[in-house]
Amino acid sequence: MSTEKNNPVDHKMIKELLDEKKSKMKLSLAACASCSLCAESCFMFNIYDQKPEYMPSYKVIKSLGVLYRKQGKVSRQTLEKMGDLVWKNCVLCGRCYCAVGIDIPEMLAFTRMICRSQGVDGVYPHNLGAPPAECEALGSEN
Amino acid sequence: MYDLARGPFVWVAFVIFIIGMVYRIIQINALIRVNENYKPSKVQQKKPAKKKGAKEPVAPKISADEIALQRILKFKDSLLYKHPVVAIVSFIFHCCLLIAPIFALGHSLALYQSWGFATPSLPDGLIDVLTILVLVGGLFFLIRRLMIPRVRAISSMNDYLLLVITAAPFLTGFMAYHQWFDYKTIILLHLLAGEIMLITIPFTKLGHMVFFFFVRFFTRSEHNWGSGKKGWIV
Amino acid sequence: MVKSEIKSIEEIVDMIAGYKKVLNVGCAGCASVCLAGGQREVKQLNTKLQFHFKSNNISTTVDEYMVERQCETQFVESLKGRIEKYDAVISMACGAGVQYVAEHFPEIPIFPALNTLFIGVNKEIGHYEERCQSCGDCVLGLTGGICPVTMCAKSLFNGPCGGPQKGGKCEVSMDIDCAWVAIYERLKKQGRLDNIHKIYETRAWKSQGQGTLTLKEYQ
Repeated sequence: MSTEKNNPVDHKMIKELLDEKKSKMKLSLAACASCSLCAESCFMFNIYDQKPEYMPSYKVIKSLGVLYRKQGKVSRQTLEKMGDLVWKNCVLCGRCYCAVGIDIPEMLAFTRMICRSQGVDGVYPHNLGAPPAECEALGSEN
Repeated sequence: MYDLARGPFVWVAFVIFIIGMVYRIIQINALIRVNENYKPSKVQQKKPAKKKGAKEPVAPKISADEIALQRILKFKDSLLYKHPVVAIVSFIFHCCLLIAPIFALGHSLALYQSWGFATPSLPDGLIDVLTILVLVGGLFFLIRRLMIPRVRAISSMNDYLLLVITAAPFLTGFMAYHQWFDYKTIILLHLLAGEIMLITIPFTKLGHMVFFFFVRFFTRSEHNWGSGKKGWIV
Repeated sequence: MVKSEIKSIEEIVDMIAGYKKVLNVGCAGCASVCLAGGQREVKQLNTKLQFHFKSNNISTTVDEYMVERQCETQFVESLKGRIEKYDAVISMACGAGVQYVAEHFPEIPIFPALNTLFIGVNKEIGHYEERCQSCGDCVLGLTGGICPVTMCAKSLFNGPCGGPQKGGKCEVSMDIDCAWVAIYERLKKQGRLDNIHKIYETRAWKSQGQGTLTLKEYQ
């Protein structure tokens, strides 16, 4: 994705998108007790050797949590790492549950939406290489 | 300093606590609405045709085995099955956390001293036990947060700090009651610790006090416990 | 997504009768979203089966596993090395997933635990409605977003039959709304009623036989 390394991240746009759901997302992030009881609800955590990176709370805290904490001012590299986290570590099956009652799938979908707004998208299929050249040019929205 | 902590600060703490909780409750309510999608759409609503003279279908009798199976399934779905230690410790911790401050004799006396009426109180020995259980629970959570990698991975300074903030009133209260060290200092610390905790409850994860109830009982999800006609607004 | 529902426990027990080591594979795609074949349902089915086997003194064991989607090669192939240890497999995916797993592991009997129902929408948790019959020639642009193939009892294309009853109900049953009345109302709201006045040629809605699709870039 070398075409996008030269494109700066539009921090203002991210901030605007974050503000759209600020109330619910910030409440959810605040309510998270970091108890890790959501881990077993994610089948990826269960089948991929119980690695912490597959925990729903991990995925949200390290992506959306970082976005809110930095108010959208993240580098493209960080955004791409977040993209990796929410696309490769999650299939959005929507079955994760939270002991406290937080709506985790929506937070992940929201993070994906923000990443897409900056041209960071899930590469499909995840581990079989980049799509053909035509599609790549269409991908960036910047 | 003691007078400040015993007087105005208590007011400040409780007012901030109550306003904060009301704010949180209003915020959560604003985010939950009765979901219109709950009704089937109008274009096609098929009902099975009723044949003339057909009897009403009789519900099949559920065998004892079936009931046992349903109970086992429900149990296997619960947190108690999946994380028994955490569930039990958390339950005891939270119960004691709520009961001890409300029914402590020292608090009843302080209330009587200020406002002329006293809330009922439990025996001091029992409150002692509850306080120790809270402290043991807090220690358990701290150790869990430090030792288990998956919990450590998502822990931040915030989490450790809040554990200290939560344990501090109970520790200082215990020390004050048993008159360890210098009573005047300890009781001052107890007052301040309690006030700090009250102030932080609405604005941090300790707010899960109300969040949990609203979401678990009122919003629709696989795991909710109430009628759940409301859903999160988009 | 594709909506399915789980079969009765009696039917599933019948299917795996006689096998000793069974693997129950769930699907985290469509089946998970409609609460039919996700991780939780796999565990629940296994609990029910184990309960049944124990009460009837049957020595079959059932293990569990999950894959992201059973309709995708890389995920189905990830079962290699695991699935061979079993005599039979229960698949909690839609029909496509079951067949794909069976195709990749032809020596092992694969049994479906779900009945695949339709392509539909998730109105609310637990409430799913059919919207599409994958006819292959979508006319939703002309009908204001209401599918005449799915929503009309006779799948009529050029307007209602002579049958709509009072209140816009289908002549098949007073409980069913006439899709074309709904289409009319929708197009009226959008000011596109001239769509109804035009007559369209019959469309080549999908015939029987297996459909295939190869994208241009990948030929």
